[in-house]
Amino acid sequence: MTLVAALGAALFIFGGSIQAADVSFPIYFPNSKLIVQADMMNRTVYLPIKEILGHLRLQYTDSVALETLTIHAGSNQLVVTKNSALMSYNGQIILLPSKILREDNRWLAPVEFLTLGISRMTGLDFRYRPGTSRIFAGNVDTPELEMNAQTLGPITRLTLRCSTPINLNLNRENPVKAILDINRTPLDPTRERLEHKDRLLHSVTFDDSDGDSKLVLDITREVTDLRITPADNNRIFFVDFLRTAPTTATPPPPTLEPPAAVATKPDAVAPERRVRVIVIDPGHGGMDTGVKTAAGTEKDLTLALARRLRTGLIMRLGATVLLTRDSDIAMDNEARSAVANNNQANLFISLHLGYSPNKMESASSIFIVNDGLGENVSQVSGTNQLFLPWYLGYRTHRQASAAAATMLQQELIKEIQGWTFSIRTAPLAVLSSATMPSLLVEIGNLNNSVNGQTLADAGFQTRLVNGIVNAVQRFSQSPQPAAN
Amino acid sequence: MARHIKIGLIVLGVGFAIALGFFVDVVGRVQSMMKNERETEENPFKQPTQPLYTPTDPPMNVKLFFPPASGDPLLTAEDATIFQSAEIENRAKQILQKLQEGPHNDVMVPSLPKDAKAQDLFISQEGTAFIDFSNAIATNHPGGVLNELATIYSIVNSLTYNLQEIKEVKILIGGVEKETLAGHCLLLLPLSLDLSITNVKPREEKTASAAVGTTLNR
Repeated sequence: MTLVAALGAALFIFGGSIQAADVSFPIYFPNSKLIVQADMMNRTVYLPIKEILGHLRLQYTDSVALETLTIHAGSNQLVVTKNSALMSYNGQIILLPSKILREDNRWLAPVEFLTLGISRMTGLDFRYRPGTSRIFAGNVDTPELEMNAQTLGPITRLTLRCSTPINLNLNRENPVKAILDINRTPLDPTRERLEHKDRLLHSVTFDDSDGDSKLVLDITREVTDLRITPADNNRIFFVDFLRTAPTTATPPPPTLEPPAAVATKPDAVAPERRVRVIVIDPGHGGMDTGVKTAAGTEKDLTLALARRLRTGLIMRLGATVLLTRDSDIAMDNEARSAVANNNQANLFISLHLGYSPNKMESASSIFIVNDGLGENVSQVSGTNQLFLPWYLGYRTHRQASAAAATMLQQELIKEIQGWTFSIRTAPLAVLSSATMPSLLVEIGNLNNSVNGQTLADAGFQTRLVNGIVNAVQRFSQSPQPAAN
Repeated sequence: MARHIKIGLIVLGVGFAIALGFFVDVVGRVQSMMKNERETEENPFKQPTQPLYTPTDPPMNVKLFFPPASGDPLLTAEDATIFQSAEIENRAKQILQKLQEGPHNDVMVPSLPKDAKAQDLFISQEGTAFIDFSNAIATNHPGGVLNELATIYSIVNSLTYNLQEIKEVKILIGGVEKETLAGHCLLLLPLSLDLSITNVKPREEKTASAAVGTTLNR
């Protein structure tokens, strides 16, 4: 007990004066940059005043006797005092959130010294986001950098989005660390660090402490290959971390599976092709079995069908094809559409099998989201239409979804004669958040034993896949309706 | 017996006693949880404190929407009669009771899964009916997008078509908001009348013309 109390007292006494190591802190000006060594004390960033004043060519008088620093700019004067949070600007008192310090001839001030003091002296506007380690001054251009990571079966994909075109240069320093140099400085990352922690990627950290933008990739030894695929005129990059060589990474293939059919094969894009990335969603999975009858279980049949479809699309179209799940795992609907959204998919197809209480029924359906879903709610929710609810994502491409549904209906009827594929609308959760043309196909009736056997038949699945691939090909080559 | 063996046995005994205590406690908790769940499942419905109608209430013709035994449209209507009770909630509850009973003909099939019952109903001032169904509506649902759609719109259409005061229906399950009923159809938003999936014409345009099919394009 005494020991614990002593430890607590020691922490209380010495904790306040614990000083973290210096951190490099770039300040980006419109035509220059300054890297300063900032001190972190009590969670406050302290910047060296004199270095910044020198860079800005501001005159100052350091009075040791008065323990003040007086900064001059024309007729304006800013006075700061050691160990005081008050500073005087032309006689006007300004309160800082932390005291100004003077250590070993170094004047240190919190970031607010720039935004509240130097801004008035120079007219420069300083922008700083707490938690980051950089400051932007004036009208310096700061494109945003977003990063997302996802585990997609055998690979992990890091998606980078920048508001301006960039170039990346990959350098794997050692088996567990790689550096991705970005040729654009400054950048404003939406987050400093991305924790992922899967079998291939642990974290991604943005680092511009030396004034050059780079991403530090903390990877595992299992990563044997790293691939970068640019998109959208170098505004988007897919960085794929592969566990094994591509020739052996293929999941257990159905009959048509070619050896090189890795899910994320970077596409050799034909210039006229509009559908480059397709996400296929095998319905249900894990504890959520979907329809379960003597004829089969929906989650298994949809996965087999999705793998077969992936092969068909890669072989025929050379597209990048991703599955929302490539094993028997449960996923919620939002996560499924997020795979499509985060990978900039051009088409999203969700596969399901039907169930009808009538054992003789065998009709199939192609679904799109019903028009007007959620519109009442969004109108009520406020006048700010800049941010729409997530479930209204479908609206941007509803016309294109309807066009894709019509083509799919025509191709499936042509390929599987005697079957009906009706186009229907429904408030579907998995499609409502998808921000690209999206469809849900419900095939057959598992409650019909003949239908169930047919659905499990490899020949039928091949015809079904052919129909879908034909439709995707037509859709890809057709002039697509503009986004709604 | 050696001293260290005695000490070992005592420590083992104490450890065993503590483990037994924990085990008994855990078993007790699990049993009480199972009992609670059973109680909720067996008797989830509050008995109405007042009858849903009085014998003096006039009759009211309603259309109940059920899936057909085969073919399109997704939902077909069956005529039924309820009592025109003063409270809209009570009329809605009567309609839900009729839906739970299922259709009274051979060409339609029940729309609600076995044991699915409406536990509570509330109508907001904006005309949104919040209906809380027992968990059986989800757990006993056989699945299938079309089948799920039929269950949901059987409820939505039967209420909004017959009771003009109800503009939208929001379905809750087991007292809480659920994303979907059986994995497909979004329940997070209130749903409004959709006659395009039925053989019934909108009230304003009701004519003797032929029924409208459920499909947009066949």
